[in-house]
Amino acid sequence: MRKGLITMAVLLLSGAMLFASAAPETQAAEGPIELKFWSLFTGGDGEFFNAMIENFNASQDEIHMTNDMVRFDDYYTRLTTALAAGTAPDVIVLHQARLINYVPSGALLPLDDYVSDEMLADFQKAPLEACRMDGSLYAIPFDVHPIVMYSNKALLEEAGITELPQTAEEFVEAAKKVKETTGQWGSLIDNTTGTYKAYTLTRLFVSLVNQQGGSMLTDDYSAAAFNNEYGYNALVWLQELLNEGVNPNELDYDAAMNMFRLGEGAFYFNGVWATGTMEQEEGLDFVASPLPPFMGKSAAWTDSHTFAIPVQKNQDPAKVEAAIKFMDWMTANADQWALAGNIPTRNSVLEGEAFNALPYRADYAAAVSTVVANPPTPAWGEIYETMSDLLESAVTKNEDPQTALDSMESTVNEIISHY
Amino acid sequence: MIPGNKDTRDGILFSLPFLIVFVLFMVYPLLFGFYISFFQWNILGTPKFLGLQNYAELFQDAKFWSSLWHTVQFVLMTTPVLLVMGFLMALLVTSKSPLKGILETCFFVPYIFSMTVVATLWAWIMQKDFGIINQVLGLLGKEGVSWLTSDKNAMWSISIATYWWTAGFNMVLFTAGIKQISKEIYESAIVDGASTFQSIIHITIPLVKPTTILCLILQIIASFNVFGQVYVMTGGGPAGSTRVLIQYIYETGFSYFRMGYSAAMSYILFVIIMAVSVMQYVFLGRRND
Repeated sequence: MRKGLITMAVLLLSGAMLFASAAPETQAAEGPIELKFWSLFTGGDGEFFNAMIENFNASQDEIHMTNDMVRFDDYYTRLTTALAAGTAPDVIVLHQARLINYVPSGALLPLDDYVSDEMLADFQKAPLEACRMDGSLYAIPFDVHPIVMYSNKALLEEAGITELPQTAEEFVEAAKKVKETTGQWGSLIDNTTGTYKAYTLTRLFVSLVNQQGGSMLTDDYSAAAFNNEYGYNALVWLQELLNEGVNPNELDYDAAMNMFRLGEGAFYFNGVWATGTMEQEEGLDFVASPLPPFMGKSAAWTDSHTFAIPVQKNQDPAKVEAAIKFMDWMTANADQWALAGNIPTRNSVLEGEAFNALPYRADYAAAVSTVVANPPTPAWGEIYETMSDLLESAVTKNEDPQTALDSMESTVNEIISHY
Repeated sequence: MIPGNKDTRDGILFSLPFLIVFVLFMVYPLLFGFYISFFQWNILGTPKFLGLQNYAELFQDAKFWSSLWHTVQFVLMTTPVLLVMGFLMALLVTSKSPLKGILETCFFVPYIFSMTVVATLWAWIMQKDFGIINQVLGLLGKEGVSWLTSDKNAMWSISIATYWWTAGFNMVLFTAGIKQISKEIYESAIVDGASTFQSIIHITIPLVKPTTILCLILQIIASFNVFGQVYVMTGGGPAGSTRVLIQYIYETGFSYFRMGYSAAMSYILFVIIMAVSVMQYVFLGRRND
């Protein structure tokens, strides 16, 4: 009997210890401060990020950063549940567009008291201001990553195209010419769901609507605003590339990137984060340029990675301080992050030699003034994903553009009504 | 009760470790889910009471109905095939074939892989531009098939991967069922001049019926709960044409953090599975007694 009770107690205790291990462990007095970080960088820029973390750890011995890679699609799920459970890592990365989902519920620590004014003065205004809500700073912008155009120089040369297309019509003509003379694809816009949804379609659609002077949502973010000639022109152009036979149908994100790397298509659209991967591809002679003003003025979809500190039950000031140091180092050395293609946010980096020695990046940086910020509404995440599905269907099945736009508009309005 | 016998107490003590985990991770979430289905709640903020609004919204939500329909499609596409496959595999394995040992292993091995492994593997095999099936078709001069990127094929492709993955489990159940049938019945059938085929039709199939019903119920419940294969292989695509109900529940809850609405949908799925199971029990189970 006695034995039974003891066994029971041991069982219960070991059960309790299982749960206890989730609680914050106390810091050892000796040795560097251990910080935890979850990375969402899986789109070709992951290895550059990991290298930066290693460099950060090697650069000093006060702080040791450990980094876990999380599948991009599951990242926000894990992050949010961890925030709710109080088990989030010490520093997190968030897309600027997502701040709106976390700040109002008080999940992020306001950074104003921890960051020095000199540090902030070094940042570009636009990305920094995008991290402020109701007057408080909740995140530090790490990069800006707009969508850009990649062109295969060899294929263009073979097709006799000397200048990059600047309008929607020129682009279709150039793509046709490539297809006719080289037999390769004119453009490689991914348009179906694979590892990712057809985000490229949404990114281009957002860019094109804005290039004509329109926007995705009304000024107060209460309704869709793209069901007009702007949206129509954008959608018809995306469909035209398939109807003309210059862009493959049912192409997924990974396949599009692989085909461009293998030289099977002349033009490719993706975020700047793919630049580093392309540069590593041997035998690929390409040029990357800011998204051309296909439909009027320059405008390109963008987002921004930002660093933030989750509010913890027992916030350890030493860890907060260490986290700020980490953010400072990462942003101040973002020329290493620019190797992947991302655009740094600090003036000292943008003006620095290391950054300017890299190809294309200076052009990207110059184009940052024309990027389109994501609408700051909690509904945007669902709108963005849903638009990707609806555009996929409209483009791959060549649906009537007006009917498709009508249905997108009502779906988006329906989504907004739930938030 | 025998004096000194502490069976009841010991029984409770021994089941306590399981019960604690069960209550904590099954019963509590179940009740909490039902409670939260009457609220608007984003996990981080304070829940806001909505009454029955989540349930009312659900009936108007086209995405809910299309997801439910995709789930039903998957149930219809997989259940009969998996039962027949499992039964045929079991016949081979219980036959006198010298290969039966190898076959049993071959049939069952896929089942021990995790869902992610199986789904990733098949997603690669069926990839449109670089997948091995389309590569082989290309070598034969045929055009590649849009396995996962056409809304006509995608659900079948997921089903094929599922056949490969789980048929082995049904085989195990059927094998056990077939082995329980007394040898003497077959022997007397042979004496009466029955062919193997006749034995299967008139002896094996009727006598294995309890197993068939068990398999059917388990299979329908499993198929209704489909999520992983779809999520990994197509992400619900193309354009949401394979989005199943659990995936929609997952997305609403854990991508868009509308926990209340997500919970309400889970309860509707619960009611549906419950109703199907009860119906099966009533119509198929009873007659067996």
